[in-house]
Amino acid sequence: MSSTSQKHRDFVAEPMGEKPVMALAGIGDVLGKRLADKGFDKAYVVLGQFLVLKKDEELFRDWLKDVSGANAKQQGDCYGCLKEWCDAFL
Amino acid sequence: MALSSKSADEISELLDEYGIKHGPVVDSTRNLYEKKLKEAMAKGKRAKPSDKTYYREEEVTYVYRTPVRSEASGDSGTYMRSRPEWSEREYEHDTSYSGYSRSRPEYRGRDFVDEPYTYSSPSSYRDSYSRPTPVKSAQEAPKSSHLVPLWVQLVFFLAVAVFLYVVFSSMETNESLIGLE
Repeated sequence: MSSTSQKHRDFVAEPMGEKPVMALAGIGDVLGKRLADKGFDKAYVVLGQFLVLKKDEELFRDWLKDVSGANAKQQGDCYGCLKEWCDAFL
Repeated sequence: MALSSKSADEISELLDEYGIKHGPVVDSTRNLYEKKLKEAMAKGKRAKPSDKTYYREEEVTYVYRTPVRSEASGDSGTYMRSRPEWSEREYEHDTSYSGYSRSRPEYRGRDFVDEPYTYSSPSSYRDSYSRPTPVKSAQEAPKSSHLVPLWVQLVFFLAVAVFLYVVFSSMETNESLIGLE
């Protein structure tokens, strides 16, 4: 719990609904814009991609790096956020 | 090798061959998988298309080998033997007592092989008498060929025979041996 950010805790606390992609932990303005340009403008679209990659950490991290240029920390934060959300709500 | 011109199924198969864990090959994942395949090919990882089937075939042939051998010796294929010499001995005796032992579906040849040495001719009575113990050993033996050894059965048989002899000999003083044929 101490290693997660406030953003992470806020995201995993409730169903994501129509939250923007920037609500995901690890995704700031820059990465959020890059993702939105590629069509991933909502958090649930990134969730869709996460699920299609079978919730696999390596595949998701590779994909996120590929599509937005996220660094290792950002990849890890985003993965952890989505994984915990899925554990709670999926 | 133009990966982009391949179908989704082909990409999926290639990923399997290179041992790359993957999900469905859809529009949003295609790029990623093509990249991964290019990396794997560049690294020179060996693709193994038929690894699984090869192993499976090996398993199948091993299972089928033993019944064929016992079938050739004229016995039913229920018992799996590890020693080939037993089947040959059984085959020799089977031909000498033609068709005699073939009606039984269960394996009883292993003990039967020793019988002709002790008895001059196998009568039907003798065979039915000695049958229960070999059948038991046949049912137990397929699990592990030497856990219930032959000598245990022979010792048991001899003990029973000695016991019966003692019983009959003690009865001899009172009555004549009518029942003993």
